[in-house]
Amino acid sequence: MIVHALAFYLFAAVVVASAVMVVMARNPVHSVLFLILAFFSAAGLFVLLGAEFLAMLLVVVYVGAVAVLFLFVVMMLDVNFAALREGVLDYLPYGLVVGLVMLVELGMLYGAWVTGPEVAMMATSPMPDIAQVSNTEALGQLLYTKYIYLFQAAGMILLVAMIGAIVLSNRQRDGVRRQVIANQVARTRKDAVEMKKVTPGGGI
Amino acid sequence: MVELWNIYIWPLIWILAKILLIVIPLFLAVAYLVWSERKVIGLMQQRMGPNVVGPWGIWQSFADVLKLLLKETILPTGANKIVFLIAPMLTFVLAFVAWAVIPVGEGWVLANINVGIMYLFAISSLGVYGIVMAGWASNSRYSFLGAMRSAAQMVSYEISMGLVIVTVLMCVGSLNLTDIVEAQRTVWYVVPLLPMAVVFFISTLAETNRHPFDLPEAEAELVAGYQTEYSAMSFALFFVGEYANMIMMSSMTVILFLGGWLPPMDIAPFNWLPGPLWFGIKVAAILFIFIWARAAFPRYRYDQLMRLGWKVFLPMSLLWVVGTAGVLVAFDLAP
Amino acid sequence: MTMAFAQFTPALPEIILAVAAMVLLMFGVFRGDGSTRSVTWMAVLSLVIAWFALMSGDMPDGSGGKIVAFNGLFVNDGFGLFMKTLVLLASSLALIMSLGYMRTENMERFEFPVLIVLATLGMLVMISANDLMSLYLGIELQSLSLYIVAAFKRDSEKATEAGLKYFVLGALSSGMLLYGASMIYGYAGSTNFDDLAKSFHGAEHISVGLIVGMVFLFAGLAFKISAVPFHMWTPDVYEGAPTPVTAFFAVAPKVAALALLARVIMSPFGELIDQWQQIIVVLSMASMVLGAVAAVGQRNIKRLMAYSSIGHVGFALVGLASGTNEGVRGVLIYLIIYLVMNVGTFAVILSMRVKDTMVESIDDLAGLGRNQPLLAMAMAIFMFSLAGIPPMAGFFGKFYVFMAAINSGLYALAIVGVVASVVGAFYYLRIIKIMYFDEPVEAFEKPLRTEMGAIMTVAGLFTLFFFVLPAPFLAAAQSAAQALLP
Repeated sequence: MIVHALAFYLFAAVVVASAVMVVMARNPVHSVLFLILAFFSAAGLFVLLGAEFLAMLLVVVYVGAVAVLFLFVVMMLDVNFAALREGVLDYLPYGLVVGLVMLVELGMLYGAWVTGPEVAMMATSPMPDIAQVSNTEALGQLLYTKYIYLFQAAGMILLVAMIGAIVLSNRQRDGVRRQVIANQVARTRKDAVEMKKVTPGGGI
Repeated sequence: MVELWNIYIWPLIWILAKILLIVIPLFLAVAYLVWSERKVIGLMQQRMGPNVVGPWGIWQSFADVLKLLLKETILPTGANKIVFLIAPMLTFVLAFVAWAVIPVGEGWVLANINVGIMYLFAISSLGVYGIVMAGWASNSRYSFLGAMRSAAQMVSYEISMGLVIVTVLMCVGSLNLTDIVEAQRTVWYVVPLLPMAVVFFISTLAETNRHPFDLPEAEAELVAGYQTEYSAMSFALFFVGEYANMIMMSSMTVILFLGGWLPPMDIAPFNWLPGPLWFGIKVAAILFIFIWARAAFPRYRYDQLMRLGWKVFLPMSLLWVVGTAGVLVAFDLAP
Repeated sequence: MTMAFAQFTPALPEIILAVAAMVLLMFGVFRGDGSTRSVTWMAVLSLVIAWFALMSGDMPDGSGGKIVAFNGLFVNDGFGLFMKTLVLLASSLALIMSLGYMRTENMERFEFPVLIVLATLGMLVMISANDLMSLYLGIELQSLSLYIVAAFKRDSEKATEAGLKYFVLGALSSGMLLYGASMIYGYAGSTNFDDLAKSFHGAEHISVGLIVGMVFLFAGLAFKISAVPFHMWTPDVYEGAPTPVTAFFAVAPKVAALALLARVIMSPFGELIDQWQQIIVVLSMASMVLGAVAAVGQRNIKRLMAYSSIGHVGFALVGLASGTNEGVRGVLIYLIIYLVMNVGTFAVILSMRVKDTMVESIDDLAGLGRNQPLLAMAMAIFMFSLAGIPPMAGFFGKFYVFMAAINSGLYALAIVGVVASVVGAFYYLRIIKIMYFDEPVEAFEKPLRTEMGAIMTVAGLFTLFFFVLPAPFLAAAQSAAQALLP
C-alpha cells in the first residue's frame, strides 16, 4: 500500500504542478507541453483507480491526438502572448470578486445540500463487480448497450458539426490544378508523345 | 525487516532483472538491425555495405556508437535548451517502455496487463512528441518543417491503425496481448484479415517515419528534418529510439496478425523450436520487409501521403470494421 | 446471440431520418451541388416515409399509454405522435419552399436539405426525450444544424452575423440548461423523467437547489422557444438568415421546443406546479406584451414576423401555464394553427421578388391589392388570422388557450393576453392597409411558383374555413393531451 500511496501523491503532485504551469508559463508552447504532462499524469491516476481502459483512452485521445493538434496550432500561431497578458492586472480585482462570490455561493449551497428522499434508492451503483467484468467490458456495456441511443445521437451531432465546418469554411478556389490520378493512369504513349519530322534548319 | 525484504526488495530486484533481460537484447537487436539494414540495402544495390570493422563489418554499429559517444553535443544558440534535450530522451524512453507488455513467448512478459494493446497504441501515439519537440526547440526552418510534417503524418495514420486494431480486437474479444496470440491458435489473423494486415503494415511504416513515408527527414528537401541540429549523444538517442520503435512496431504486427510466438503449424518439425525463437524469426522477417521497402520504393509526395491516409486507408478500414462486425454477428462467431 | 432489434422499432422514424440524412449526404457528395433539387425532393420523401413509419408503429392509442424504449431514454406516446407529425409537416413544407429561393439566389448546395433533415431528427429526439440526457442531445442536434443553416448564405454579412449570434447565445443557453440539469441530477439522483416524477411525488419539502436547477433548465428551454426575456437573438437571426430558413425557424423548432417544454413541465415536474407556474406566467406575459409592442415600429417584414412569433409563443405559453389537460389541448390546437398561418405567410414573403431580387420591406407590399389581388387576399387572410380576428383560425387558437387559463383561475394572464392581442392586431392590420390603400409600387414578379401557390392556397383555405370543421383537430389534440396528462 505504501507504493500505491507514493504513486498517488507523485501523480497528483505532478498534475497540480503542471496545471499551474499551464497557466503560468511564459511560452505558449511550454504551456501546451505542461498540459500534456498533466493529461499524462491524470492517466496515471486513472490506473491507480483501477480504470486502466480510461487511462489508456485518455492517453490515446487527448495526449496522442488532441494535444498534438493543439501543439501544432500553437507552434504555427504568431501571437504575442505577452501583449495578451497586459491587461491582467486591471481585470484582476473583478476576477477576484467574481471568484469570491462563487466561492461563497458554493459554500452556501453545500450548507443547504438536501438531496431528494429517494436519491439513495435511485443512485444504484452502475459499477458491476470488478471480479466478473473487466472495466473495458463494463464501459462497453454502458456505452453501447445501455446508452446506445445517446451514443448514436452524439454521433449524429458530430456529423452535423463536421458538415457545418465544411459548409461554412470550405471554398473551391478557381485556378488550382489538382491531381487526378485516374487521368494520369489513363494517359498513354499516344497522348503524351508526338512524333515530329524536323527539317534541318527549320525548327519545329 | 524480513517482511520489507520479501514484499519490496525482492520483487524490485526481480523486476529490474527482467527489465535488463529485455533491454540488453533490444540494444543488440538495434545494433544489428542498423548493420543489417546497411548490408541488405548494399546487396540489393549491388554494393558491399559495411565490411571494414570486423569480419563482414559486424562491429560497425559498435564503432558508430563509440564515435557518437565521444563527440561533443552541440547546443544551437537559438535553441530552447531544455526542450531540445528532453526531445531525444523522450523518443528513446518511449521506444523502450513499450516493451514492458510485449509477450515474446508464453508467459515471457514483464507486465501482462488487461489493456496491453491499448498501452502499445498509447505509447506509439506519444512518439510524435519527441519529434515535434525536437523540431520546435531546434529553432531551425528545416527541423520545424520536418516536425510539422511528422505530426500531421503520424496523427493521420494513427486513426486507420486504431481501426485495424479494433478489427482484430473484435475477433479476439480481449485487449490482452497474450489472449490475442492465443486466439490465433487455429489460424493466424493475417489469413482472414489480410487487407487489414497490409493496411496495418503500411501504417506502421508511416508511424515510424520509414521509407517511403520518411518525409519528416527527407534529406533532399529538409537536410535531415527534425534531426538536423542534433549531434553526438542526442542524435544517437534519436537513432536508437527510432530503430527500437521499428522493432516494436514489427512485434505489434507479429502479435496482431502473425500469431506471436506460435509456430505456423503445431506439428513435428515446427514445434521443436521454442516460442521466443519463432517470435524473433517473425519479427526479423517483418523488419526485412521494412528494409526492402526502403530499397524498393521512391518517397511519397506529401499530398499523396495524406490522400493515402485519409481517402484510402480510413474508409477502407472503417468498412472492414463494419464488415467484420457484421460477419461476426451474422454467423455467431463473436467471442 | 440474438440481436433484439425489436427494441429499436419505437424509434423507427428517427432511424429512418438518420439513415436518410447519411445516404443523402453521400449522394450529394458524389453528385455535386447540381443535385440539390433531387436531394431536396428525396429529403421531403424521407420525411414522408418517416411519418408513415411513425403512424404505422404499434402505438398505444391516445389513452395515456406509452412505449418506453432504450432503457428509459426514449418515450413514444400520443402526444409525441401529434407533435412529430407537426414537425415533419413543417420541415417538409420548409424544404419545398426553399427550392425556388435557393435556385434564384445561387445558393444551391446539397447540404441544406441534409441539414434540415438532421435538424428534424434532432426535433424528433427532443419530442421523444424521456431523460435529461436525451433532451440535451436532441436540443444540441437540432440547434447545431440550425446554427449552420442560419449562416448558410456565407457571403452575406447579415447571415454570418445571424449564424454567429445564434451560435454564441445558443451555446450560452445550452450551458444554462446543462447547469440546471446537473443541479437536478444532484438533488434527485436521476435524470430519467419517470424517476424524477416519482421522487417529486408527495415530497413535502422541495430543496432550494432543485428549484434553482429547474429555473436554469427552464431558462435554457425558454431561449429555444424565444420567450421574453430570452428572445434577443430572434429578430436578428430571423432578419439575417435566408428567408426559407427563417420560415423553417419560425415553425418547426418552435413546435419541437414547446413540445419538449410541455413534456418537461407536465411529466417530471408535474407535481411542482406551484413552483413553475409563476415562471411560465411571467414568460408568457412578457412575451405577449413585447411581441405586440415591439413589432409596431418594424419596417422589415422578417423582423416583424420575428416579433410576431415571440408574441405567439407567449400565447401558447398561456395554455401551458394553466397546467391542465385543457390547457395542453389548447396549446396543441394553437400550434397547428400557428404552423399553417406561418407557413402561408412565409410563402407570400418568399414570393416578394422585384426584378430578380428579394425585397423584404413592408412598404414593398404597397398596392399589392391592385397588382396581384389573389396574393394580397392570401396575405390578408393570414394577417387577419395572426391578429386573431374571428372567424379566422387564429382566433380559435387564442380562444382555447384563454379559456383554459380562465378555467384554472389565471385571470390576469388572460386579460394581459387579450390586451396584447388587441395591440398586436394594429400592426397586422397595418399591413393590410398598406396592401390595399397605399399607392402601388413596383409589382412583384409573376407568375408565382407552382409549389408556393399550392401551399398558399391550402394554408389560406385552412385558415379561412377552420371554423367549419374543427372537430377532427380538436379530437386529435384532445387525445394527444390525454396521453401527456392522463
